[in-house]
Amino acid sequence: MTLRVLDPSSEMAAELGKPAPRLASLQGKTVGFISNGKEGTVGYFSHLDRMLRDDFGVADVVIRVKSNYSAPADPPIVAEIAQWDAVISGIGD
Amino acid sequence: MQELYHSNGWTDGLPVVPPTAEAVAACLEWAMLPPDQLIGVEPVRERPITAEKLAINAVMAGCLPMHFPVVVAAVTAMLQQEFLLHGATASTGGCAVMLVLNGPISKELSANPTFNVLGSSDRATMVIGRALRLILINVLDVRPGGIDRSTIGHPGKISYCLAEDEDDNPWLSLAEQNDIPKEASAVTVMAAGAPRQIMNEWTTEPKEILETFAAEIRANMRHYSIWPGNYAIIVPQQLRQHLQKAGWSKADISEFIFERARIHRREWADVGKGSVVRDRGDTVYPAMDSPEQLLVIAAGGPAGGFGAVIPPWLGHKSHAVTMAIGVCLDCEPPKP
Repeated sequence: MTLRVLDPSSEMAAELGKPAPRLASLQGKTVGFISNGKEGTVGYFSHLDRMLRDDFGVADVVIRVKSNYSAPADPPIVAEIAQWDAVISGIGD
Repeated sequence: MQELYHSNGWTDGLPVVPPTAEAVAACLEWAMLPPDQLIGVEPVRERPITAEKLAINAVMAGCLPMHFPVVVAAVTAMLQQEFLLHGATASTGGCAVMLVLNGPISKELSANPTFNVLGSSDRATMVIGRALRLILINVLDVRPGGIDRSTIGHPGKISYCLAEDEDDNPWLSLAEQNDIPKEASAVTVMAAGAPRQIMNEWTTEPKEILETFAAEIRANMRHYSIWPGNYAIIVPQQLRQHLQKAGWSKADISEFIFERARIHRREWADVGKGSVVRDRGDTVYPAMDSPEQLLVIAAGGPAGGFGAVIPPWLGHKSHAVTMAIGVCLDCEPPKP
């Protein structure tokens, strides 16, 4: 006896975004951090800021903090991304 | 068939009921929904959710057609903005979606709001709660290590559904408190932590009984999260009788617990969290922004002074939502 059963998974996933072209170097670039604002982000991102500037020659680091750490970044932050050469989006758990 | 579903990651690890076309069609017919009816769109990942996918997962969970309208209403409630579905299902905090049933549907489905109410109390609440988890897994890819980043989670993530005890009970039901008439059925969804059991069977004094609940909430605020929100308390019959005999309503209970369930930030230092007290030690944090945020739920077996506090996941960002069952929001009439 054949048992015909149905697929329970979604077949309508939205198209995923594509990664931007990789940078050849971070020298002189502007890097944005999108922090979820949790306690652990403070030390982590400040250390990463220093490391990017001192070790990789990054010209500028912009730190933005989400208003809700369990929701996507606020629209003004997303709009600002176009002005950066690279983005690091991190959590602070 | 079982191995195919397990190997595709389509289960919660337990066996599933085969979702045949006939069984799925029966659910859709009962709810009067065409298969392609759009129930909603998950807002963060823009994932459309159709009635057919809900029905397939409901059948797999063990739902009969009569259970399916509850599942649809619960998913609709979870998609409301204030519930914060993506955060609640992805967070390392590892909450579950708790459902509370109110109204005539509880009896129609033979849901049992008494013995073992937070365990496997009956078929209806078990399969409805499980259906939600399978929907999250399969329709929204909320799998452990994938979208679901829970550090430890809790057993309510298998199924977390109960009915409120509305028999011989002068209190307004949770649904009535949300302006849904008692003749209608409703489901409330809440992003909820694991239940924290309390016990006080050595007093009949309402304030002493409620102090035990408030103390458990304060403990949660010290040990887990200081943020205010929708705490729920489960009040069993034995404790309800003392409260009701003394004339206490749900609103009275909420008011008392609102006043008593609050801590100073400095108390964090007593439980190993001194590093984040800083200069705000004297700041007082209430467990709720207002008394109305407390969900007082009448449920549990007839004997025993046991109750439970069910804490919110991220109370100041995710809020409980109550939705009438069988009421269609923004949807089109069924196709002929």
